Amino acid sequence: MSENVLELNHIVKTFPGVKALSGINFNLRGGEVHAICGENGAGKSTLMKVVCGVHQPDSGEMVVNGKKETFSNPLEAYGKGVSIIFQETSLFEKMTVLDNLFLGHEITKRKGPISIIDYAAMNKKAEEIFQRLNTDIDLHALVNTLGMAQKQMCEIAKALTFNANIIIFDEPTASLTNREVDALFEIIRKLKSEGMGIVYISHRLEEIFEICDRVTVIRDGHYISTKDVDKTDKDELVADMVGRKMDNYYPKAETPIGEELLRVENYYDEGFLENISFHVRKGEILGFAGLAGAGRTELMQSICGITGKAAGKVYLNGEEIHCKNYVEAMNKGIVYVSEDRGKYGLIVDLSVERNISLPQLDRLKKALGKLDVKREKELGEQYIKDVGIKAPHGEFLVTNLSGGNQQKVSVSRALALDPVLLILDEPTRGVDVNAKAEIHKIISELTLKGLTIIMISSELPELLGMCDRIYVMKDGYIGGCFDRDEVSQEKILSVALESGKKAGEVQ
Amino acid sequence: MKKKNLSTEFYLFLFLLVVSVFLAVFAKGFYTVNNLMSILNSFSYILISAIGMNLIMLTGNIDVSTGALISVVALALAAIGKLGVPFAGLILAGMLMGAVLSTLNGLFITGMRIPAIVATLATTQIFQGILPLTCEGSIYDLPASFTWLSFEAKLFGFIPGSLIICVIVTAFFLVFARYSRFVKKLYAIGNNREGARLCGIQVDKTVVICYAIAGLLFGITAVIVATASQRCTTTMGSGMEMTFIAAVVLGGTSPAGGSGNLSGTIIGALILAMVAPAITYLGISSNWSDAVKGAIILISVVVSGARYLKRKRVIAGAAGGEA
Amino acid sequence: MKMKKFKFTYNTALFLLWIVIFAFIGIKAPGFLKSKYLINVMLKNIVEKGMVALPMTLIIITAGIDLSVGNIMVLSCMLGAMAAGSMGGAVGVVVTLVVGVVCGVLNGLVISRVKITPMVTTLATMYLYLGLARGISEGNSLYSYPASGFMGTQNILGIPLQIYLLIILAVIFIYLLHSTAWGRKIYAMGLNPNAAEYAGIDTNKLTMQIYILAGLVCAVAGLIFLGRFTSVKYDAGTNFNLNVITIVVLGGTSINGGIGDMRGTVLATLIIATLNSGLTVLNIPIDVQTIVQGVVLMLALIAYAVVNKKNRQKRILKVEDPADGAKASV
Repeated sequence: MSENVLELNHIVKTFPGVKALSGINFNLRGGEVHAICGENGAGKSTLMKVVCGVHQPDSGEMVVNGKKETFSNPLEAYGKGVSIIFQETSLFEKMTVLDNLFLGHEITKRKGPISIIDYAAMNKKAEEIFQRLNTDIDLHALVNTLGMAQKQMCEIAKALTFNANIIIFDEPTASLTNREVDALFEIIRKLKSEGMGIVYISHRLEEIFEICDRVTVIRDGHYISTKDVDKTDKDELVADMVGRKMDNYYPKAETPIGEELLRVENYYDEGFLENISFHVRKGEILGFAGLAGAGRTELMQSICGITGKAAGKVYLNGEEIHCKNYVEAMNKGIVYVSEDRGKYGLIVDLSVERNISLPQLDRLKKALGKLDVKREKELGEQYIKDVGIKAPHGEFLVTNLSGGNQQKVSVSRALALDPVLLILDEPTRGVDVNAKAEIHKIISELTLKGLTIIMISSELPELLGMCDRIYVMKDGYIGGCFDRDEVSQEKILSVALESGKKAGEVQ
Repeated sequence: MKKKNLSTEFYLFLFLLVVSVFLAVFAKGFYTVNNLMSILNSFSYILISAIGMNLIMLTGNIDVSTGALISVVALALAAIGKLGVPFAGLILAGMLMGAVLSTLNGLFITGMRIPAIVATLATTQIFQGILPLTCEGSIYDLPASFTWLSFEAKLFGFIPGSLIICVIVTAFFLVFARYSRFVKKLYAIGNNREGARLCGIQVDKTVVICYAIAGLLFGITAVIVATASQRCTTTMGSGMEMTFIAAVVLGGTSPAGGSGNLSGTIIGALILAMVAPAITYLGISSNWSDAVKGAIILISVVVSGARYLKRKRVIAGAAGGEA
Repeated sequence: MKMKKFKFTYNTALFLLWIVIFAFIGIKAPGFLKSKYLINVMLKNIVEKGMVALPMTLIIITAGIDLSVGNIMVLSCMLGAMAAGSMGGAVGVVVTLVVGVVCGVLNGLVISRVKITPMVTTLATMYLYLGLARGISEGNSLYSYPASGFMGTQNILGIPLQIYLLIILAVIFIYLLHSTAWGRKIYAMGLNPNAAEYAGIDTNKLTMQIYILAGLVCAVAGLIFLGRFTSVKYDAGTNFNLNVITIVVLGGTSINGGIGDMRGTVLATLIIATLNSGLTVLNIPIDVQTIVQGVVLMLALIAYAVVNKKNRQKRILKVEDPADGAKASV
């Protein structure tokens, strides 16, 4: 084995209110593929953003190619041989491939007193790189005309234009088809054989066993273990990823389960959802597990009429319904709480009470369209008290609340609509441990009051702890359904990660 | 096997071609030297400034003070011109003043983090107000040395000097846009400001320089506009900014920034310069020219907008990764 | 809301600024303070801009902009005048209002359905409306008719009719923005259109409504405008657009959307009115007034930028008390 090209010693990074990384150690040798795995939110991506200069660490040491370095932006990191291929590409969409490959470090030549961009040299270098990658993307195409796989290829090529010897792949296969994944792996093997050090971030375990040499597990921002891939197995890794847990974070109440509330039959949306059927009974907490991009969010938003039309039937209390828009769903008592609080959920520059009243402004109208401010205030006060939002008063701006309290505002807002079915999409994402427990308690109490809940989550312990039944989704279809007493993390993972992908997926 | 995407410029060019043929058939006398030269003269000063406006709009900013800025520069030029300063002096002075005033805009926008449209709205009023402090409505009886450009500087006796300047400027910027690293930065900023910063681009500095360069060009337009007659008024440039912005938008540059080509701007400017004379020669009252301009711009943005909507399928709630 | 501690808001600042300007001019030129002058010159001159600034505030709060308002005003009153010439005053008024609404509908449709940015859309329609007015009038002036003249010159109890109208409209718009559910939706849309959609707010419908409302108010302003000046030419609306936007921005509405106050707009209208007529009384040439107006706007922007910066820092520090700066009272 060759020398370490990258060493991270005790990296610590905190964001306001959250300790994202607490003392991570990691090393990477030349000519190896080293996986970093962990659950969603374990800190994998944050760690890599620290490495490549998007974030700066609070403390800790980073040694790149034998020298201690700190990077203030990714360009500096690139210059020292470190490059990263992001989950969502960081390319400039409305510029050409060639411009993107060399942006910020264009090759120039001198023409008299001035230096001008040397397109011939750039073209030549780019073509060499694309040949190395065995791809034939048009260098003069605009990036926004490319598919995901091609964009990723551009990112890899961009890394190579810097002569990088360390490349970090952040969930590279998340939006690729099987064939594209195979092509990608071939490239990774090739780069490895050329002596590069490659960091491979993924939570798809079989990929790790296919392509990686060593694997480091991190959990909740802590370093857990580093193992040789051929000396470990899937179960061991899952155990490391999950840790102990499964205790009183999940105060599930015993609720009587009633008759069927919602039934979905043969739900289908080209490219997103395939022939989905499921049902949920009154008083139940129904879980939806699966990887990011498995289609859970799309399914729920479609049922609520938020996004596009899908074929199939939805029955509420035995009656067929079809929600053309979200308002119709809300009026029927189906309320959806988005996973992305900042973007699609709360309006953080408004106060707590105004956020709570937002979806039901039309219900708070008096004569002449006048808003019932008194009622709005009451609602705000009521939910601050009932749900336990830590805000001094209803006029407090949401932006000044912690993630957990913001999530409570989201939930309050949904509750204020008097729903019969509450759909929570990743209810505890970006929320610290204590607030998580509180939110779980709130959810649990809601079922006692007769509410039915569908919960999408990528955190398995949460689903296992809270749900009566769990559906597992994968690539837009339902791969399995487990009852509370028969389910285990391993069972869910084996369905969600199962490699029996189907050919000819979208893209 | 390169597949060429049919761009906005291509459609515009096609439109221009069709219109040109149409005019040849139906507009008697449109293709006379005199008429063409007069079109090219207005094309010249529109295009020169539109190039500057295009640079600014590539970064996602805008400048609505250009008209007032040109008025200021034009009047100052007239004051100098009265002293008999020759053309070379005038154009240098014009470019310098334009650059200084426009740099102020840039500094105001980046320094105070004020949206460009509002910031330049404020400076518009200041520029407009400065003028009358310097003179009573207009400066007249300007010497022949002042109007040299529009009356005497004619290549082969008929090609206006303004067109020659325009060709030089345009050629320079066609090369500049392609071969300078600076323009790449402008595109990058317009595409993704944060991404550009992460690529090591100094966003604020770049934007200020961009305004300065645009100011040079506005200054040249001011020279052409000012020297067109022996009299210079305080409202010479009023409302011109809208024509420049229109030429840029028509040329396919998105006001959101990040995309658009100089070639589109050239065609856009040409179309706008042609509208008024074309209408007159078609025997329609020239009073309809603005309506036609408006309709052309509106239809062109709606058509390209509709194309975009079709291409893009809305995927809401795109799968989020971890934080 | 009773017993509220006095807060130094942006509106208070505007009010103080107005008082200072008013007092300064009053002392320098006592003639200014005559009620006849105040009403007939100061207020009358600003009525149209003040009216249009009201819906413009709504538009800017949704993060939009309308560069075509002045041209809608001129086009609608011109077509109205032509209709009145052949079919009588009542038809003229109806035509004026209908044209205003139609222009607003066109703006709204292109913005909400084709998703073209408001700036580009209204830039294009600005040309279109200007050009239509010019083409239809053949560049000539059109003249007032009795119904329009009534709107522009009638006095009630010694005060011109249009001032009553302005006051009524201002009250309605303040009510709409600050007291109704509808107003809340406008703010929500400006702050985060995605989240607003996810809260069940139909942002397309809202967009249509505000641009149509703007068109309608422009038409009313057009009636007054024509009546007051007795004739109108196609280019009469040229500087109008930017002047109206100046008033709105001076009033503390953020061009980025989501933040704004209708009362601020009303105060800004008064400030601009006082400045314009006051400086005239002081025999300061009209163009210096433009500078003063520009400087006032610039100062407002700088003050605003500074306040914003402070607020942001406050947020990072996670101060327990909600930011009580100018913008918190939204």
